[in-house]
Amino acid sequence: MRKIFFIALLVGFVAYAGLNLAESVTPYVSIAEARSSSSNVQVKGLLDKNFEPQQTCDEFTFGLQDEATGETLRVKFDGVKPDQFDEAYHIVAVGKYDAADESFHAKKLLIKCPSKYEGQNPKS
Amino acid sequence: MTGNLFLVGSLVAAIAVTSICYVQKIPSARPVKICAGLSAIFVAAASLLLWYLIFENDFTVEYVAAYSSTQLPTIYKVSAFWAGQQGSFLLWLLVHAAVGITLTFRRTSAASLGIYFLLQAILTALVLTKSPFAENPAQVFEGVGLNPLLQDFWMAIHPPIIFVGYALLAVPFALSLGSLLAEAASRSWLEEARIWTLTAWSFLGAGIFVGGYWAYKVLGWGGYWGWDPVENSSLVPWLLSAVLLHLINFARKKSSALTQAHVAATFTYALVVYGTFLTRSGILGDFSVHSFAGSSIGAALALVDAIILIGGLSVILWKAKELPQGNLYESHGSAAFAVLLGSLLIIFVAAIVWVGMSMPLLSQLFGEAASVDTDFYVKSTAPLAAVLIVLIIYTFAKFGRMISLGGKIAHVGFIAMIVAIVVSAQGETLTQEFKPRAKIQVDGREVIYEGQTFNEDEQQKFYVYTVDGEVVRALTKLHANGEDAAREPAILKNFSGDVYIAPHAPQIDEFQELMLTRGMFAMDGELGYVFEDAQIDRDENGNPIQATAAITITDGEKVETIHPLITVTPDGGSSKAIEAFNGTRRVRLTGISGDLQKARLEILPTLEKLSNMPITATVTTKPFIWLLWLSVTTICLGTFISIRS
Repeated sequence: MRKIFFIALLVGFVAYAGLNLAESVTPYVSIAEARSSSSNVQVKGLLDKNFEPQQTCDEFTFGLQDEATGETLRVKFDGVKPDQFDEAYHIVAVGKYDAADESFHAKKLLIKCPSKYEGQNPKS
Repeated sequence: MTGNLFLVGSLVAAIAVTSICYVQKIPSARPVKICAGLSAIFVAAASLLLWYLIFENDFTVEYVAAYSSTQLPTIYKVSAFWAGQQGSFLLWLLVHAAVGITLTFRRTSAASLGIYFLLQAILTALVLTKSPFAENPAQVFEGVGLNPLLQDFWMAIHPPIIFVGYALLAVPFALSLGSLLAEAASRSWLEEARIWTLTAWSFLGAGIFVGGYWAYKVLGWGGYWGWDPVENSSLVPWLLSAVLLHLINFARKKSSALTQAHVAATFTYALVVYGTFLTRSGILGDFSVHSFAGSSIGAALALVDAIILIGGLSVILWKAKELPQGNLYESHGSAAFAVLLGSLLIIFVAAIVWVGMSMPLLSQLFGEAASVDTDFYVKSTAPLAAVLIVLIIYTFAKFGRMISLGGKIAHVGFIAMIVAIVVSAQGETLTQEFKPRAKIQVDGREVIYEGQTFNEDEQQKFYVYTVDGEVVRALTKLHANGEDAAREPAILKNFSGDVYIAPHAPQIDEFQELMLTRGMFAMDGELGYVFEDAQIDRDENGNPIQATAAITITDGEKVETIHPLITVTPDGGSSKAIEAFNGTRRVRLTGISGDLQKARLEILPTLEKLSNMPITATVTTKPFIWLLWLSVTTICLGTFISIRS
C-alpha cells in the first residue's frame, strides 16, 4: 500500500514535469530552421550592421545575421532596445517565426558582450 | 610562488589527517589535531597572502590585475578576494579548513574525519588547478578593478555567506558516510549532523536572500530572482538540505528512516559540487560543449562530483542489509507521513529546478542543444508550493505541539515568503519615454522625471524622479572616462509597496570628434581649438603611465586653456570630461600620438543638455514587497532559534 502510494505519486510527478518541460523547451536552431519551425526556438547570431534597428512604442526591430551563412533574419522584439545592445557580440533571440509578416517574434533577447576582463592590454 | 607552496603544504597536511584516521582510528589524537591545524594555517596564510597582494596592488599576479585596482576603496579590496572564480574557491577552502579544526575537537569519528579531510584535500587540489596566484603574462600598471555592479555592500558579503553554507554541508555528508563505513546501523551521527545541517541551511538561505536583495536593489531589471543557473545552483542544495534536515529529525525518532537520511546527505553535497561544476566550468557560457574541453577545472569538478555521488550511493547500497528496515510510517494520517510527503514535495521542486538548469547539458545527450523558458520553473513549481502550504497548515493544526518553536517560526516565514512572492508580482509595469517634468500615472502613483544630476568627480550621476511628491534617485556609476558603468534603479519604499524605476541607457547621438595637430587651429563649428603642448610620463621600462596635454579654446574674444590628463589603464585611456566656457562646452581627450604631434578630442553633450534629455524608463509597482524581506529574515531567525535549542 505504502509502496504503491509513493510509486503513483512519483509517476504522477514525472508525467506532470515532463508535460511542462515539453511545452517550455526551446531548442537552439539555425536561422533556416527557425524559418521552417512553428514552435518556440532560440536563434543565435550577430547584429546585421546593414539593417537599421528601429524602435517603435513597444516593439524593437533589428536584423540578426547567421554567422555561418550570412543570412539575415528580421527580429521583432516585444519591448524596448536592451541596454547593452550596441556593445553586443552575439545576440540570442528566443521566440517563434511568423511567416505572415516574415519576421521572428522574440519574447526574450540574450545579449552576449565581450568581457571587459579579457584580452585588452594597455597601449604601449 | 609562495601562495602555491602554502596550498601544497595544506594539501599534504590534509592528506596526513586522512591517512592517520585511516591507520590509527583514534580521531582525537594529537597528530590529527596538529595536522588539521597545520592544514588550516597554510590555507589561512595563502588567503592572507592574496589579500596582501590585493592591498599592495601587485599586478604581476593576474588575479589581482583582473579584479582590483589602485583606485578601489578598501572595503572592496577585501571583497575583491572572492570576485573571481579562483579566489572564491580559495574562500570556500578557507571556510572548509576552519570547520575542519572544529571537527577535530568535537569527538568526530575517525572515519568521518578522514572523509572530511579527504574532501579538503580535493578542494585544495582544485584551487591549485586554477590558482589565484598565477603570474600575469602581461605587464600592467593598473588593474581592471572590481566590476562596478559588484561594488555594493550586499554583494560584498553575499559570496562568503554562500560559501559558508557550501563548506558546512560537507559535514553531514562526511558524518553520514563515516558512520556507514564504521558502524552502519548507528544513529549517533544524527545529533551532530542536525546542528551542522541547520547551520548550513541558514547560511545558504541567508546567502540566497542577500543575493536576491542585491539583484533587486542594484541590477535594475526589476526582480530579485531570475532563475539564472548561478541562482539555481545554490537553490537546489538549499532545497535538498531542507529535506535532509527533515529526514535527520525523522531518523532520530524512527530508525527505519536512516537509509533516507544517508541518501539525502549524499545527494545534498553532490548537488553543491554539481552546481559549482555547472556554473564554474563555463559549460553554460555558450551552448556548445566545446568550452568544456578547454576548461580543466570543469572536467575535474565533474569527476569529483561523480565520485561523491557514485561513491556515497555505492556505500549505502553495500551496507543496505545492515541498515534498519521497517515501515516508515504507521498510517496516512500520521505526522510521519506528513513529514515524508513534505520532503517529497521539496524534492520534486528541486528536481524541476535541476532539470531546468541542466537542460543545456541534458538535451545534448539526446540530440540538439536546448534550454527551458523561465516560465517552466514558475509554472511547474507554483502548484507544488501551493500543496506544500496546505500540507504545512494541516500539519500545524494536527500536530502543532510536536513542532519546536524555531521550526514553527521558520515554517510561518516560509508560508509568508510564498505569499509575498505572489502578492508582490501583482503590480503594474510601464515602459515609456519620460520627458523632463512631464507627469505619468502608474498604478495610481504619480511619477515625474526631474532630470539628471552629475557628480563626475566621484564618477556618479543620478536620474532624479518624484513619486507622489517624494524624491528618489537612481544611481549610475561611471567609468573614469565618464561612460556609464552600472545603472541602478530608483526605489520608493512604502507600506503599500515599492515603486521601482529603472532608467534605460540614454540615446545620445554620435559625439563630434576633432583631430588636432600640434600648433594648428581647428574648429568644432563655434569654437576654435589649438593643441599647444603635451607630455607623456613613462616608467623605467619606457611604458607610458600617463599623458597630459595643454589645449587652448577660444570664441574669438576670450581664451581658456584646459589640461586634460589620461591615465593609462588596461581598458585603454581617455581623460575625464572637462568643462570650458562656463559649462557651455564639455570635452574629453581620447588619445595623444607617441610623437606628441596629434591629439584626439571628443566634443561631448553639455551637462545641461544631458540633464534635460528625455529618458526611457521601466516603472513597476511591487505591492507589499517588504513582506518578502521580512519573511526570509523570519526563516533565518527560526533556524537560528532551532540551532540554539
